[in-house]
Amino acid sequence: MRARASTWPAFFSWTLGALASLRLTLVLIVLLAPAVVLALNFEEWRSWPLAIPLAGLAVNLLAALATRPAFRVQPALVVFHLSLGALLLLIALGRLSYLRGTLELTEGALFDGDLTTVDAGPFHAGRLKEVRFAHDGFTIGYDPGLKRNTTRNPVRWLDESGRWRKSVIGDHHPLVIGKYRFYTSHNKGFAAVLSVESEGSLPRTTVVHFPSYPINEFGQTNELQLGDAGGNVWMLLDFDEVILDPARKSEFRLPTDYQLIVRDGDARHELSTGNAVSLKGVTLRFEGLRTWMGYNVFYDWTLPWLAATSALAVLSLGWHFVGKFRLKAWDN
Amino acid sequence: MEAELQVLWAAIVAYVLSGVIAIFGVALGRHRERIVLGLIVLGLTLQTVSLGMRWSRIGHGPFITLFEILNSNVWSLMLVFAIAYWRIPKLRPSAAVVMPVMFVLMGWLMLAHPGEGHFPPTYRTPWLYIHIGMAKVFLGATLVALGIAGIVLLRRFGVGIRRFANLPDDSRLDELAYRFMALALVFDTLMLITGAIWAQDAWGRYWAWDPLETWSFITWLLLAFAIHMRLTFRPHPVRNAWMIVAVFVLAFLTFFGVPFVSESAHKGAV
Ligand code: HEM
Repeated sequence: MRARASTWPAFFSWTLGALASLRLTLVLIVLLAPAVVLALNFEEWRSWPLAIPLAGLAVNLLAALATRPAFRVQPALVVFHLSLGALLLLIALGRLSYLRGTLELTEGALFDGDLTTVDAGPFHAGRLKEVRFAHDGFTIGYDPGLKRNTTRNPVRWLDESGRWRKSVIGDHHPLVIGKYRFYTSHNKGFAAVLSVESEGSLPRTTVVHFPSYPINEFGQTNELQLGDAGGNVWMLLDFDEVILDPARKSEFRLPTDYQLIVRDGDARHELSTGNAVSLKGVTLRFEGLRTWMGYNVFYDWTLPWLAATSALAVLSLGWHFVGKFRLKAWDN
Repeated sequence: MEAELQVLWAAIVAYVLSGVIAIFGVALGRHRERIVLGLIVLGLTLQTVSLGMRWSRIGHGPFITLFEILNSNVWSLMLVFAIAYWRIPKLRPSAAVVMPVMFVLMGWLMLAHPGEGHFPPTYRTPWLYIHIGMAKVFLGATLVALGIAGIVLLRRFGVGIRRFANLPDDSRLDELAYRFMALALVFDTLMLITGAIWAQDAWGRYWAWDPLETWSFITWLLLAFAIHMRLTFRPHPVRNAWMIVAVFVLAFLTFFGVPFVSESAHKGAV
């Protein structure tokens, strides 16, 4: 009985000692390097291969903090290593609860919480459905050679107290609503606004976003679903004028002279603003042209904590080295 | 453009002269440290003028093309080395190691096309200067450490033993090089943090495994490894010197290799 009682503490302290080993730290750092290279090259390898050595380092660090006398006498070093641990924890929490997505919004239309693409952590619990904003067009300058320059995108948005507010976003100024951050992107283009009226139902307005401009300068086509009966019709936004001239500075704008070509089977219709066409019992009226902007949305509640913890890490690292090197001159 | 290039070539001539004198100084045992420092300062002054002329002509700093990045790094590395050279006389003979490395960069700079690049809107932020500033101090500190490590290695291989004999012994040089590695770690950490903040502002994500980000992180890991290796095994200074060479090579390839082989946003793409 006695022998057993003393074996357990011995085993426990041996394990703790092994976990706190600085050789283990080296091994784990070496294991992390190929995991990072894998993560660089393969998107599907960005979780477990990284998580395993990182979790190992976290355990190793906790054990070392608990047992190593070196830490006891160097408080700045403790703060530095603890902040590295805290960063790991925050990144893990961020990965579980983040959201990243894209959306396209027609000028003047209200964002209603729906995203075109979404990628979110398993525990994302934000309130995107309640977020409301609209944009009032944008200006984007282009330098010669079609090099995109400054983006200015005036937006209106509902703040948390229910008041509408205005600001201008673009480039490194996202729209921040709650913890959601909306960034303008290089994705933007022209949108045809149409009213659709079919027998027996109320007219509705719909928009067709043509592919991003100028990347798809020669592919300004899209399809519209007319409803259950009508099937799809094919559309082309047709204009001849040069919007962005590669030879000089220019600015993104709507074309002034354009037509909407609508093709339904073999039938082809050319619509100017205000024109209508009847297709299979559905009347389609071209109400006009607007812009649309593509946004990237990002949610990660850990961002301010990550910033603060990183600042703490680097300050304590500096503090540790200043303390250590102050004792002896550099030109000793 | 002609005038600014001529001033730049004049700066390079001054650097090359200082390097040649430093190398011969070590080889022949003649100390011409004041001349070496004077020529470096002359080179720095001329290069600053050339950079300023270009900046005011094209309206933005040297951050875009390979020519500009090499140009600004030659400047910042020479500046960091000049400060170390001036303040820490013991490491002066390391110019014989550092200057040949700089010659490589200068030769490459002379071959690079001095044309202009597009300055993307995401670069119009103070983070550009903060992030790049941190990176430059990091690389500068690594270069100084490399110079000191170079002396330890040259001594080991029997090169210049006599010339280097009046320098401190290996363990003292090792300690000095380690200080520069510590400085490098602090600034590398700052570079990663400020880069993440900037990436969040500009691209809506603080980390996306883009090649430059990833290789910078691997360099940081190698620094962590080198520091822990030293703590754990107390290796001989020659081993530590090799570790420093490895860190420098990785940092160098990350800085001057990755941005020009990858097509990521880090290049300032559309
Ligand atoms: C996660 C596992 C880690 C453990 C268990 C660990 C443990 C330790 C210990 C015990 C020391 C003190 C050694 C001594 O003074 O005798 C130390 C020092 C240090 N560690 Fe870590 N560490 C870890 C990760 C890291 C990482 C990822 C970095 C990143 C750079 C790092 C940077 C440092 C630095 C800069 C020192 C001080 C070196 C000096 O005073 O010269 N450590 N570490």
